[in-house]
Amino acid sequence: MDTRADAPRRPWPNERWSRIPNWVYTDPAVFQREQERIFEGASWLYVCLEAEIPRPGDFKRSQLGTKPVVALRDGDGLVNVVLNRCAHRSAQFCNANAGSLKEIVCPYHQWTYNLKGELVGVPFRRGYHGQGGMPAEFRMEEHGLQRLRVSCRNGVVFASFSDATEPLEQYLGPRQLASFDRVFDGRELELLGNLRQRIPCNWKLMQENIKDPYHASLLHVFLVSFGLFRLDQRSEVELDETGRHAVLISRRGEQVANEATQEMRNFRADFALEDKRLIDPQREFPGDATVAMQTIWPNIIIQQQSNTLATRQIVPLDAGQFDLAWTFFGYRDDPPELRQRRLRQANLMGPAGYVSLDDSEALLISQWGIDPNPEADMLLEMGGREVRNETHMVTETALRGFYKYYTEVMGL
Amino acid sequence: MGPAAAPGLEVPHDLRQRVGDLYCAYCDALDGGEYERWPELFTEACLYKVLPRENFERNLPIGLIACESRAMLRDRITALRETALYAPRIVRHFVSSLRIRAVEPDGIRASANFLLIQSMVDQPSEVFLAGTYHDRIVEVDGALCFAEKLCVYDSTIVPTSLVLPV
Repeated sequence: MDTRADAPRRPWPNERWSRIPNWVYTDPAVFQREQERIFEGASWLYVCLEAEIPRPGDFKRSQLGTKPVVALRDGDGLVNVVLNRCAHRSAQFCNANAGSLKEIVCPYHQWTYNLKGELVGVPFRRGYHGQGGMPAEFRMEEHGLQRLRVSCRNGVVFASFSDATEPLEQYLGPRQLASFDRVFDGRELELLGNLRQRIPCNWKLMQENIKDPYHASLLHVFLVSFGLFRLDQRSEVELDETGRHAVLISRRGEQVANEATQEMRNFRADFALEDKRLIDPQREFPGDATVAMQTIWPNIIIQQQSNTLATRQIVPLDAGQFDLAWTFFGYRDDPPELRQRRLRQANLMGPAGYVSLDDSEALLISQWGIDPNPEADMLLEMGGREVRNETHMVTETALRGFYKYYTEVMGL
Repeated sequence: MGPAAAPGLEVPHDLRQRVGDLYCAYCDALDGGEYERWPELFTEACLYKVLPRENFERNLPIGLIACESRAMLRDRITALRETALYAPRIVRHFVSSLRIRAVEPDGIRASANFLLIQSMVDQPSEVFLAGTYHDRIVEVDGALCFAEKLCVYDSTIVPTSLVLPV
């Protein structure tokens, strides 16, 4: 494909969101517009958990779209999110992933900022022996670090580049907010660790993967055979009003063959683990759902599968690759046995996870098929062509919802 | 040639030789595709973990893999052989600077650097992971094996996925 920014693109297919043109996964001009309209537009972007920066002075590096940022807790206990760019000469001043500091000092010329990102020190601002220095009209207060809007809810930090973004609660909408609050219920969180993988495919394929309950019943032997997430179990796919957020909800079933499992090549009635402690979930949330996978537009997945809890942050790098940053957590008041379960079940997830490994490899071969075929379209007709809530898994409704909103925001 | 010993530590030549042989057998099993031999180099109640340096240094428990028994290691191999989806690849281990750190009642403490080179279809070979093994080695029925193997990798970022054991 001609990937020059000004190269003519085919128009979006007439079928709208039941067909996705492959050029949205390859075109650098599309990627650039996504940064402007989505990541730097009216969106709330996941930054980190508050548990990662519990004390004043604690910081955590993150990246929102292609913009590196730092989340800091200041002396008032508030979370600030600033661009990781010195206001002087643009040096990326923070190069550790996490840590603690009293003030921010850019290593290059030692411009100094407080924990709110305000400029508090410029060496030789007044010159030396009456010579040099900054002009008399230089105002420190006009040259702080660029600060983003911040919204914290029950221990999760979001930021936005735009003043037009509605309040977070409104942005999520009532149903998605309820799902968010089910996991982030206000209890103090315990950070269990971070993992990060670089996947050579377009970032949107990651959103699509978690919005797609159909693949889960076909691809993942572990989910299917052990009944952790399977098409014949009572399930819901619920979207917000715009279609941009979704949650897939299901209930654990048994490892028994039935009419549905006959169509699942990867169902293995005889498959068993030698050490069964790995799949030994304990009920812990209200209601009967045992799995809820939530995708919040545009950069975060909230994973509750049995007792393994994590956020997965999508960090787009360019049209053909993104980083997936995992943050595993539990609750500060977890009994030791439950904490142990979370750690064991984490073997299902992450870059080597029994389940997630299948996904990252599926994304890899997807991009391998997309790159040489930009003239082709993706077909999204499973479960019809509409965007609506469903009470089954044989549907791509949440992917259509994503693209319904995507095409509006992108003007495509 | 066996591994080096920490300064001031006297380690009999034949023990050094046997420790060196254990690491060779480890690489042979994984690089030669004889994955079923890999769990046999561990004790029944072994601990095997792969985690980023970032978590290791902050005492955070999460890693890529955490096995608490030889049975869990065998489950990993079963999944590798029978259930996991992944593009074909060859991973080769390069182990260097193997050193016996201490000989203690609960076993031999050893450490080494590892470098994993991955070769995938249609791609040139690439550096996949680099890091350090922190191991405890014990003797069971006359053979040395790993009671603990902690694989701490340097880079925060894993390229796509970890399919084969480190």
